[in-house]
Amino acid sequence: MSTVNPTEAQQPPRTLKISILRHNPQDPASVPHMQTFTLEEAPAMTLFVALNDLREHQDPSLQFDFVCRAGICGSCAMVINGRPGLACRTLTHTLAPEITLAPLPFFELIGDLSVNTGKWMRSMSERLQTWIHSTDSVDIKRLEARMEPELAEAIYELERCIECGCCVAACGTAQMREDFVGAVGMNRIARFRLDPRDQRSDEAFYDLIGDDDGIFGCMSLLGCQDVCPKNLPLQSQIAFLRRKMVKVGLS
Amino acid sequence: MNIVYTDVLVIGGGLAGLRTAVGVKRRGHEAIVLSLIPAKRSHSAAAQGGMQASLGSSTMGEGDNEDVHFEDTVRGSDWGADQAVVRMFVNTAPKAVRELAAWGVPWSRVQQGERESIINAEKVTIREKAEAHGLITGRDFGGTKKWRTCYTSDGTGHSMLYALGDQAIAYAIPVIERQEALALIHDGQRCYGAIVRDLITGALTAYVAKATTIATGGYGRLYEVSTSAIICEGIGAALALETGVATLGNMEAVQFHPTAIIPAGILTTEGCRGDGGLLRDVDGYRFMPDYEPEKKELASRDVVSRRMTEHMRKGKGVKSRYGDHLWLDITVLGRAHIEKNLREVKEICEYFLGIDPATQWIPVRPTQHYTMGGVRTQHTGESPNLKGLYSCGEAACWDMHGFNRLGGNSVAETVVSGMIVSEFIADFCDSPDSELNLSTGLIREFYQRESAKLNTLLNSTGNEDAFALRRQMESIMMDKVGIFRTGPELQTAVDELQALLTRSRNIGLRCHASGANPELVAAYRIQKMLKVALTVAYGALARTESRGAHSREDYPQRDDQNWLKRTLASWKDENDTLPTLSYEDLDVMSMELPPGFRGYGVRNHIDHPDTERRQAEVEARRKEHSDRFSLQQALMPYEHLLPESCRGRNERLSEPLS
Amino acid sequence: MSKTTDLADASAKPTPLKSKLPARLDFWQSATGLFLALFMWLHMFFVASILLGKDAMYTVAKFFEGYHFFGQPYPILVTIAAAGVFAVLIAHAGLAMRKFPANYRQYSTFRRHMKSLRHDDTNLWFIQVFTGFAMFFMVSIHLYIMMTQPHTIDPYGSGDRMVTDWMWPLYLLLLLAVELHASIGLYRLAVKWGWFEGKDAQATRRRLKQAKWAVTVFFLVLGLATLAAYIKVGLDNRDNYGQRYVPSWERQTQAPTPQALIPAAQSAAPDTTAPSVVDSAVEVDAPLASDAVVEPSGQDVGTD
Repeated sequence: MSTVNPTEAQQPPRTLKISILRHNPQDPASVPHMQTFTLEEAPAMTLFVALNDLREHQDPSLQFDFVCRAGICGSCAMVINGRPGLACRTLTHTLAPEITLAPLPFFELIGDLSVNTGKWMRSMSERLQTWIHSTDSVDIKRLEARMEPELAEAIYELERCIECGCCVAACGTAQMREDFVGAVGMNRIARFRLDPRDQRSDEAFYDLIGDDDGIFGCMSLLGCQDVCPKNLPLQSQIAFLRRKMVKVGLS
Repeated sequence: MNIVYTDVLVIGGGLAGLRTAVGVKRRGHEAIVLSLIPAKRSHSAAAQGGMQASLGSSTMGEGDNEDVHFEDTVRGSDWGADQAVVRMFVNTAPKAVRELAAWGVPWSRVQQGERESIINAEKVTIREKAEAHGLITGRDFGGTKKWRTCYTSDGTGHSMLYALGDQAIAYAIPVIERQEALALIHDGQRCYGAIVRDLITGALTAYVAKATTIATGGYGRLYEVSTSAIICEGIGAALALETGVATLGNMEAVQFHPTAIIPAGILTTEGCRGDGGLLRDVDGYRFMPDYEPEKKELASRDVVSRRMTEHMRKGKGVKSRYGDHLWLDITVLGRAHIEKNLREVKEICEYFLGIDPATQWIPVRPTQHYTMGGVRTQHTGESPNLKGLYSCGEAACWDMHGFNRLGGNSVAETVVSGMIVSEFIADFCDSPDSELNLSTGLIREFYQRESAKLNTLLNSTGNEDAFALRRQMESIMMDKVGIFRTGPELQTAVDELQALLTRSRNIGLRCHASGANPELVAAYRIQKMLKVALTVAYGALARTESRGAHSREDYPQRDDQNWLKRTLASWKDENDTLPTLSYEDLDVMSMELPPGFRGYGVRNHIDHPDTERRQAEVEARRKEHSDRFSLQQALMPYEHLLPESCRGRNERLSEPLS
Repeated sequence: MSKTTDLADASAKPTPLKSKLPARLDFWQSATGLFLALFMWLHMFFVASILLGKDAMYTVAKFFEGYHFFGQPYPILVTIAAAGVFAVLIAHAGLAMRKFPANYRQYSTFRRHMKSLRHDDTNLWFIQVFTGFAMFFMVSIHLYIMMTQPHTIDPYGSGDRMVTDWMWPLYLLLLLAVELHASIGLYRLAVKWGWFEGKDAQATRRRLKQAKWAVTVFFLVLGLATLAAYIKVGLDNRDNYGQRYVPSWERQTQAPTPQALIPAAQSAAPDTTAPSVVDSAVEVDAPLASDAVVEPSGQDVGTD
């Protein structure tokens, strides 16, 4: 059983110095600059708590995005001390007292720490047609089509992606090639390829990702794998897709 | 003035909103979804545990059907629900699950053969039938007789939301992100759309539509500690309320979830207890069997929450800087089970508490979780007071949850109500009745009114701080309109909220940007939220009984004689500081399941005068009909209420369709 | 009830509409890289034969000139092999160049990204770009010499090339570049195509990374020792530049008195104090009098 209560403070509070990359593209006078705030740390404080505290008490114009604040919606991805991660589930006590926050690179900046991942993800989904393609008509009054339990689990394993954008922000390829679909896109394709309800062939998937903006653009730098907050098996899935797509290409 | 026309405007991009948009689009009507955030980030994703639908394929779900689901839901609601709507719901839920299966949700499946499970802290062996292998399985959830909760590991809501989000993309439905509706356009009879603010640029747009649907989720964020996403601020309810015409139903019905972690208020799924997790007190003692010998940890949510609060009041809570809490012990389930089926819970424990739930207990306490109340609608999803205004999902009071919602019924409601309501909206749009006949002057009037309000706020010299007002409101709601309620406390709450509302008209801003401006957003939202908070507190004050999640210590009995009715709140005049309450009676004589003992705690209620008579009628019918379908039809016909596409029986292994 | 728009052709599609070229380019980039890396390993071992003695290296060199098959050496075989390797190298370079930053903006974006992320595999890629770029020049020089002067490949020829021809700095840099580039490249091939993944891909990756460093260190040590050995030969043989090596067994039968040899034309001052008694010899029947050379199949290293 638990002997240490995580909700109890064990030490005198630290003073955090939080440096934030500020910029409001809506304001023509705004230039990107770092701004440093100081804040007293509280027990079990996350960056969600810290940033809201700053907005409410120090600078009401500070922009950032949180929705679920529980690590499941993917809204709050930002660059924390140089690495993309989910701010809501980053406990400040796991960081040094000097914290640097910046918006995710690659995505359109809305302001300060807020970026338009949603817009990019939607266009990725449209481009990769990330939905079940089936010509079967299903009678929903009748028993559903059966599926092996392990297969359902395997699909769910890939379905866990929350489209936070960390993988794209950590991707060296995406930094250089803005049309690259990123690990998030390829993982989506891998998910539908695995799903027997999706009747698309490998040739059809090749049409979606068989180029240098897709699977063949990936240089296997694995930033995606190493920052993914959901620990998705991105490396394996991209490798798997590459083998399948090359097979199509060589046939 | 920027005006956009569409057939159906859907405000809210969660499961209910998306399913509505897909439904009308499939019927050939154009739909636009407005969302504060990217749709796939909606709070629907947080429904980890699962969705109830009586498929009855797994061994522990054997014998399940719509009747059992119906009874569980009505009992769970403490007879506050509209029973016809519950029937519509339970009959459509299996269809919704199967539709989602076709759309790609990887529902967990039945694995034939024996497996170990934990029930009431004891290991049991469950044997699954070979003929059920590969069908959608179900897990146990609080307040249900059968294992009925369909799930995908512990990311059910996420999987459903992605499947539906992708369908919306497949159907090329525009989901316009970072848009906030500020007001509905209406003339007191008919709703014509909404005035909408772009949260990035601050620009206003008038969306004009034949039908406008509010699918904005609940109002949990009126409370200081809530499991809800931070966008669940009740703005949808406020939009309807501010029309002065549309009504809100049962706003005082607010559910608390027994097991949110402290201090973050993040939910650990009911699946923890469903799978065999235990609640322990400061001494490590398992206390629930003392209060609820039969259901123990799996009694209905409101009951468990209250028992936990009661136990903590006896000094059995664990003290912490953030107040008392209890322990949730899932170490008994074993690491393998936790890492496979409760992975999100494990992650939450690791990331927000720094503990390993396979070896350590989780600090939990009851936390605001769900709001049964919302925009009052008919069974069609349309407001009875304002034509062309629809609502579904948590935002609506449809009303299938009454005064308490069962676990797994909320995420089910989102898609089921979306399926049903979208058909009614499509019918409406197909009818000449839906034709718009409005003057641009009306649009301009609303547009200018909202624009002026924003300018007033931006230029105000007021001295009130929006964030401070908000914190005060949250703590009033938490402390005085919480799990246990009393008349004097509620009265104080109402008084204080009224004072806050008055003060909120004098907010001054430090940040004057007209575009993206978090403080401006906080300012106009708090003005709306306070009105919604008042409907909750005032409704709770007026309701002098205890029913479901509404628990009055000064009126501990459920009082069917006086209170078997739905609270309706409206805001007649912009300058009012209190809502106007009225009531809608529930007709016992048409109930399929007359009010009775709920099955938890002690039997403690005052019967409605009609109950006995109706009970006798029901008993008589039961004797006449041996077939469950004909019995149901005799007791409370409902199928005619459903849209064509949702009618019909659901196939089960035990009930094959010809 | 399921979605059917635009799906009619989804399942039946026999061939993709998209060009198959990207797949082929990707495949061949990996395939040529793999070939070059494996070739480089073998090459390193052959070149390192000098550590076993000059005779060993001489034997290896002659082997690749076909001596053991035809009874006499044909240096043209080395030319052909080197040309083949050169062709693969050019193909690989051309394919890999597609991934290089295309302009300064891309370059600086990547550098900024790399500095911020502090991520091992991302840094390794930059090393690959850098070493790959450097090798364009260095390997070209090396291979050109191998192609044009294959007959000079023997212990003395190679030693002379290091020292008297001043090639050792180039070979030192080339060695570093090749060893880094090839082992990183092999590691990346493994993660790129999912080789040896097993049940736990990340555990495998950690092991692959360790193996990669071990291989780098091994080949660097071997390469430096080999380089040192050639430099030593070159230094010892400095005064007999151009001399062809005669293996010990031929010396015993054909040239019993080493001192008596007249080395190649330009060697004005024959080395009278042969450094090491056993094989300080010189050869007799140098096929061509005036050349200097290198090792067997190219002491070069790599390519990849």
